This record gives sequence, structure tokens and C-alpha cells, in this order.
Amino acid sequence: MTGVVNFYRERESSILGIGFIVLFLVAWESIPLWVSLPKGVSLFFTTPSQVAVKFYELMADGTIQEHFYISAWEFVVGLGLSIAVGLPFGLIMGRSRTLDALLDPYVTALNATPRLIWLPLLIIWAGIGVWSKILIVFLGAVFPLLINTYTGVKNVDRVLINMVRSFGAREWHVMKIVVLPYSVPFIVAGLRLAVGRAVLGVVVGEFFAATKGLGAMIARAATAYQVDVVFVGMAIFMGISLIFTFAIKKLETNLSRWRPEQVKTF
Amino acid sequence: MDVKEIYQKYRRLVLGVISLISLVALWEFALTYVITYDPFFFTTPSYIIVAAKELLLGDRLWRDLAVSSHAFLWGFSAAVIIGIPIGAVMGWRRRVEYALDPFLTGLYASPLVALAPLIILVFGVGLTSKAVLIFLLSVFPFIFNTFSGVKSTDQLLVNVVRSFGGKERHLYFKVILPSTLPYLVAGARLAIGRGIVGVIVGEFFASSEGIGFAIAQFGDTYRLPEMFVGIIILSLIAVALTEALRKFELIIAPYRADMEIR
Repeated sequence: MTGVVNFYRERESSILGIGFIVLFLVAWESIPLWVSLPKGVSLFFTTPSQVAVKFYELMADGTIQEHFYISAWEFVVGLGLSIAVGLPFGLIMGRSRTLDALLDPYVTALNATPRLIWLPLLIIWAGIGVWSKILIVFLGAVFPLLINTYTGVKNVDRVLINMVRSFGAREWHVMKIVVLPYSVPFIVAGLRLAVGRAVLGVVVGEFFAATKGLGAMIARAATAYQVDVVFVGMAIFMGISLIFTFAIKKLETNLSRWRPEQVKTF
Repeated sequence: MDVKEIYQKYRRLVLGVISLISLVALWEFALTYVITYDPFFFTTPSYIIVAAKELLLGDRLWRDLAVSSHAFLWGFSAAVIIGIPIGAVMGWRRRVEYALDPFLTGLYASPLVALAPLIILVFGVGLTSKAVLIFLLSVFPFIFNTFSGVKSTDQLLVNVVRSFGGKERHLYFKVILPSTLPYLVAGARLAIGRGIVGVIVGEFFASSEGIGFAIAQFGDTYRLPEMFVGIIILSLIAVALTEALRKFELIIAPYRADMEIR
């Protein structure tokens, strides 16, 4: 008996955590057994097991793969572009006070507003193909990266920079030896936020103007009352976000053990 | 000398204003004299100003803003009322934290916006579905920031109150609430951003009124100047709300001014 108690005490947090999720799924699954749903409600209702079956079916006939490749392409290209733009601009704005002052109004204003409001304009400019989605992913992801890189650069120890300078380093060396290594944890934190924004961009972008992609799949399924398909899409997005978020979070804690713990943000 | 000193002091502001003005001037000049453009795809600041005057004087824009803020207020208040107690209990009772943390973290990290079509299907087009979407997006910053705030309460202060015979009620109002407040305001700031996402997505997707709908409709009908006015107004509102809360954060907790809570 004490063995069981000890086993529970040692793993209390994971037992309770997993237990609650299992309980939630079981409760959801068993709702139709407890109450007979009226016809209007059962139209909107599905259970986890139905979702799992649908997921398997859609995997088997290749529907998911087809949509997934498009979404993944938009995500990867958009995020890649935002890294290619966000990092250099963050570094430059962090190092040059003049450029910082010149660009700051745009960065602040664009960052404070959800970039999704640019979607109708991007659709006019780039059409309803993949490019409008790539651009909205880019717009969403670039600011967390830029601002975190900037914060990282701003936080660099002045003493280290002066030290490297007095040994005759040029700006390029200062960047390479001091600034970049110092801001890596900040950049990784920015990347975590950027991934979340990028997924948001893919989802919403595909809702409005797309025929292919997981977001379009969800939107179309919803209008056809295929609730299980909506949840299949939701589950995929959830899985991807969780994998990315926790992989980057792990990297982050490895890189920044010295920093105090922060509030959760996604 | 004097001018130089003033410049040094307001350098950032001066450069920022110069940069804004020159961008607008360049935009206007380039599209008027250098590049011939298709009015379906581009527009110039002068047209935007004309459209702004028209929209601000008319009542359509104000009606749209009222509709959107109505939905926003409902969703946001629900998030406050439900999010803060959940977060407080999670921070105060260890077992509740263990049980709820993985589940809620999973939901927080995943794009719940993907449920928007379903929510609209269930609750119909209109206020309710928008409010539900806003609630769903903005409740998590409240939960997790309250949670962190309560959890980071100084145990020493709790013990002091207890050893001087303080009641539970004193504990809550004298120690826990003040130490949680800055986290709450930071959470509200995050929640506003996510709530506005909810407004926009809800109105883009299925709506017949509201600021998001107005922007989408102007886009669909290629009325670019009006669309820019909508975008600029929504940006101004978002910036004003966020900056006001940031200032508020500094006022209620100046000692945390150097602490970055995003």
C-alpha cells in the first residue's frame, strides 16, 4: 500500500495532469450515452472517437496530406522570410540609435495591431494563391522576431562591447563576438512567439481565400456540417503548435538557465 | 547650443516624426508624379485623407465601431470573470495546478481561432459567436497571468500576515491581490491583442456589421482609401489601449518597471 502511495506522491503532477485530460476526453465521449441529444444539437456534435476515425480515413485517402503540404509550404516560406528580415533589422535597430528612432514608429504601430487586418489588402495585392498567405504569415511572425532580437541587442553588456572595442574590434567583430551570442536566448524566445503567429496566419489566411490547405479544409467542412473534419484540422494544428512550442521552449531553457522565470506567453 | 540640446533630448521623437512625414510625402509624390498606378490596387495619402473625412463625418464607421466594441466588451468581461478565478485557484492550490496546467497550456499554445467556423455554425452570425470567439482567445492570458501572480506571491509576506493573526481575508486583500495586480494588467494587455484578433476573424468570416466587416467589405469592393482608413483607425485603437495599459502597469508597479512581462 505504501508503495502505491509513494508511487503516486512522486508522480502526482503528471498523474493529475494526464488524468484530467483523459477525464475530459472520456466525459466528452460519453455525453451521448448520458443524454439523448436533440436533433439540432447532434448536428454540431461529435465525439473524440469519431474524430479519430475521421482522421484515419482522411489520412488513408490522402486528403490531409494534400492540404497539409500547402499549409506547410506557406508556413515554412513565410517564417523563413520573417527570420531573414526580422533578425538583420533587429540587430541593426539595436545597434544604431538613428535607425532605431527612424523605424520605431512603424514597428510599434504594426506590432500593437493584429496584422490580420491587412489580410484583405494582401488578398487584393497577391491574389488568393499561396502568396497572400505567405505574406500574412510573414507579417505576423516578423515582429516578435525583430523586437526580441532588438531587446537582446539592447541588453548586451556594455562592458563587453567596450572591452572588445579597446582591443581594436570593428562593428562586425562586435556583432559576431559579443552581440549575436548574447542575444541568442532572446531570439529563440522571439522564434517561439513567431511560430504561434505564423500558425495563426496560416489558419486565418486559408479561411478566407483559399481552396487548398488545412484552414480551407476546416472552413469548408464547417459549412457542410462535417464537425468531425473541423476537429481533425484543429487537432493537426494543435499538434503542430504544441510540438514547435515545446521544442523551442526546451531549447530556450537550455540556452537561458541564468534568466529568471517568466510568465507564459504564446 | 540651445537648439542642439533640445534636439539631443527629443532626438527620438524628432526622427520618428521626420520619418513618418517623409514616408507619407514620398508615397504621395511617387504615386502622383513618378509611377502611374491602377486605382484598384494602390492609393495615395491624399485620397485616404478625403475618405477619412467622409467616414468620420458619416455615421457608418461609428456604428461599426459600436457593434465591434459591444461584442468585445461581452467577450472580454466573460474572460475576466472566468479567467481570474481559475488562475487564482490554480496558483493557490497545488493539486488544481497539477490537474489543469497541461490541459490549459495545450489549449493556450494551440490556435483556437481554427474553431471559428464551428463557433459561427453553432452560435450563428452575430454578437454571440463573436463574443464567444473573443472570450476563447482572451481568457488564457488572464488564467495564466493570475496563476503566475498568485504563485509568485512572497511566501514570507504570507507567513508574516499569518503569524500576526491575519485572517484568510486579510491574506487575500493585503498580500495576494497587490502582488498579483501587475501580472493581471500585463495579462489584460495580452488579452486585448488576442481579443482584437477575435473581433477581426469573427467579422471577416461571418458578419454584416462591425469594423472588421467594414475593412473586409471595402477590400472586396476595391475601395482602398476607405479600407486604409479602417485599418488606421483599428491600429490607433489597439495602440492606445495597449499603451494605456503599459503606462498603468508602470503606475501600479513601478518597482517592476525593468521586468519584461510580455
